[in-house]
Amino acid sequence: MGWISFYLPKYIVKNEYIVYIFSKGYREWVPISMKRRTLLKRGLALGGGVGASLAGSNALAAQQPETLITEIQDWNRYLGDGVDARPYGRPSQFETEAVRRNVPWLTADPKSSVNFTPLHKIDGIITPNGLCFERHHGGIAEIDPADQRLMINGLVDTPLVFTMEDLARFPRENHVYFLECAANTGMEWRGAQLNGCQFTHGMVHNVMYTGVKLKHLLAEAGLKSNAKWLLPEGADSSHMTRSVPMEKALDDCLVATHMNGEALRPEQGYPLRLVVPGWEGNMWVKWLRRIEVGDKPWHHREETSKYTDLLEDGTARRFTWVMEVKSVITNPSPQAPINHGRGQTVLTGLAWSGLGKIKRVDVSIDGGRNWKTARLDGPSLSKSVHRFYYDFNWDGSEMFLQSRAIDEFGNVQPTKTDLRAARGVNSIYHNNAIQTWHVRNDGTTENVEIA
Amino acid sequence: MSLRKTILGISAFMALVCSAPALADAADGEKLFGQCLACHQIGESAKHLFGPKLNGMSNKPAGLAEDYVYSGSFKKAAQSGLKWDDESLDKFLEAPLDFIVGTKMAFPGVKSEESRASIIAYLKEFNENGERIKAVVEPKIIKPIVIEPRKLATEFVVPKHGVLHLGRRALDEEVVAWDIDIRPDGLGLPKGSGNAIDGSELYENHCASCHGSFGEGTVRWPVLAGGEDTLTEERPEKTVGSYWPYLSTVYDYIRRAMPFGNARSLSDDDVYAITAYILYLNDLEDEEFELTSENFTSIRMPNEENFTADNRHEESYRLTNNSEPCMNNCADIPARIIQRARVLDVTPDSE
Ligand code: HEC
Ligand code: HEC
Repeated sequence: MGWISFYLPKYIVKNEYIVYIFSKGYREWVPISMKRRTLLKRGLALGGGVGASLAGSNALAAQQPETLITEIQDWNRYLGDGVDARPYGRPSQFETEAVRRNVPWLTADPKSSVNFTPLHKIDGIITPNGLCFERHHGGIAEIDPADQRLMINGLVDTPLVFTMEDLARFPRENHVYFLECAANTGMEWRGAQLNGCQFTHGMVHNVMYTGVKLKHLLAEAGLKSNAKWLLPEGADSSHMTRSVPMEKALDDCLVATHMNGEALRPEQGYPLRLVVPGWEGNMWVKWLRRIEVGDKPWHHREETSKYTDLLEDGTARRFTWVMEVKSVITNPSPQAPINHGRGQTVLTGLAWSGLGKIKRVDVSIDGGRNWKTARLDGPSLSKSVHRFYYDFNWDGSEMFLQSRAIDEFGNVQPTKTDLRAARGVNSIYHNNAIQTWHVRNDGTTENVEIA
Repeated sequence: MSLRKTILGISAFMALVCSAPALADAADGEKLFGQCLACHQIGESAKHLFGPKLNGMSNKPAGLAEDYVYSGSFKKAAQSGLKWDDESLDKFLEAPLDFIVGTKMAFPGVKSEESRASIIAYLKEFNENGERIKAVVEPKIIKPIVIEPRKLATEFVVPKHGVLHLGRRALDEEVVAWDIDIRPDGLGLPKGSGNAIDGSELYENHCASCHGSFGEGTVRWPVLAGGEDTLTEERPEKTVGSYWPYLSTVYDYIRRAMPFGNARSLSDDDVYAITAYILYLNDLEDEEFELTSENFTSIRMPNEENFTADNRHEESYRLTNNSEPCMNNCADIPARIIQRARVLDVTPDSE
């Protein structure tokens, strides 16, 4: 997430619209804040209807016949829109909460910023294209596919230029992969901060890509024997670059043109993006225009100044590419409280690992004292999110919800205490710790840390 | 309150200064407008961004952009009669946040009077519709439409390279145009040089408005200097001087991405000079310093040795030998809240 960082030391308030926090100490930009009024409104909106629905959804309490049933509704009688009213279909007008969120209270400059996937509003494993979180460093480049070129140069036999038509003639493949920003959950290193899994965990999405294996493109140019590293580069105004080791490039990297069956969305790199399965989102260069082949890494800005993990002793890890095993309960969560009172309850969430498949997810309702194994449902694919459910009978008392994922290699999601002991709190990136939600006895839910 | 004072103060001031500053050059202004592009567009296809589009800015009341939501403070200033002309634009651009207290134009201002005059001259070249009044109209060449018969599939030439014979050979000029990356060992460095003194002026014109004259970062933009010996502190300051391992990264990044909103606009020598100046700002070189393609790789950054490989797998909390995590009675006492999500209440509700 580049220049946005994640805790709340000092803040500067410059005017009534933009509120941003600037950590002098950290020399990074820290966005977290919102107008108190907005906050209050949001609080109402999120918790809204809790009281009402606790009563309303209790079947035994119904005394009057519901007019929804006894009377004929408009949609029962009148004709709706015809087929061409929505040439490109969109979600129901009632799905107003299922949107990416960022402004106005999170960051100041939308050109180098981020927004978050509403994890609490989606189900299954695929993230709809319009809800995939965005992070760009120089705004969205708008490129006509006719103007798109992909160059391969450096340590190759023949430096090449491909058009989109050329790329469409390579054998292509379909794969479902998660993409997680290395800074996802980065705001939580120093403690619970943001109330909502959209904000704590929403820099992840899961999409089926259609694309060409990078190894086919490289074979076309012909790799020289000392070719060890690649430098993919974007065409946008940030000219994003990252060094990628050759083993990864030849293993599972794709050059993708489609997501979930349609052309990439502009904000996801239309018409061409790199897919680097299981690895930090920022390596998945969007608006891909060039791949240079070299014998050493480049140590560019996004792998030195950013995306390096500062430890307590002042050293920093670099090239921490893999996104490790992680999970989060998406419902209930602060933006999705329990509105139905005690009784049968569905708990659900997502789990993923950049190394492969998820083997198991355990769920605790008492803050990690006792664990039950959740039910994984839906396709279990390598380096893709997995959906888990835990169906149980809530007795109505307060709960401390946690989920703990284990991947196929036996890697267990760590606790926050473990991670802080190992790394301190200034790493920004790679926070894959177990999250705790506190569900109160009225069903409202808060992000907390527990002992 | 302070707004009214400012405006009155300024009109008094304006009565004294009557001649518009000389040396205005719209061509310079166009370049300098680069620092505004992050928030403003100008021209026929201009849209509102974070700031309104800036067409037809001369001699008209402030705050007239349609479909743009100004800040309350700005609206108040406009209602109390603020008009844009050379003088008021000059004062506004010098220090927007002082001129209109509470404006959401979070921009520290343009210090040089000459630069401001040039920017204003550039703004004035655009009328209300975004047409560039002074712009030279190039005669349009109308190409005759020729419908060529579709080529037969067998007429296409199949290249020889590779396995599937797709794509075409990149020409040298094309590779040179795009291959702008630089490595710590100097691979990719263009020939050239620049010194910190020239760098200081370039930096002031192209960078200081966001990053501060001393690299301290203004308003909300990144800090570039300072922070030495803070990496083990509670609030580390990661800057070019305190954190970045290689100088090549500085040159490479500035050349590929800065100034923000006007990338690839600096010459190679300009980037040498600015890089030299950033070293000076970080107390790593003195003001006489000249950075050249020859001495470049001899310069070492102080934090180079403190980067390590990814050794996360060695962290001690990890379970070994496929052992299973605890499932029951994993702690003696019940869970207790030690911290709650707080959202900072930092908001200066204006009322
Ligand atoms: C950080 C973003 C930002 C930058 C950079 C910026 N501006 Fe602005 N500007 C704004 C905003 C936002 C407003 C609207 C002010 C308000 O509503 O308080 C504005 C307003 C203005 C106005 C008044 C427009 C009107 O409709 O009356 C002018 C003129 C202007 N800016 C010129 C400039 C120039 C010239 C530059 C570059 C030297 C610049 N701005 C740089 C954000 C910016
Ligand atoms: C309009 C504001 C603006 C201007 C003008 C500007 N920058 Fe930047 N600069 C930014 C932003 C925003 C970022 C962070 C971009 C990101 O992370 O995506 C940045 C990042 C940087 C960084 C990397 C900081 C870090 O800690 O990683 C350097 C170095 C830099 N700029 C140098 C320059 C230089 C040199 C100039 C002048 C030639 C310049 N900038 C002009 C806004 C600006």
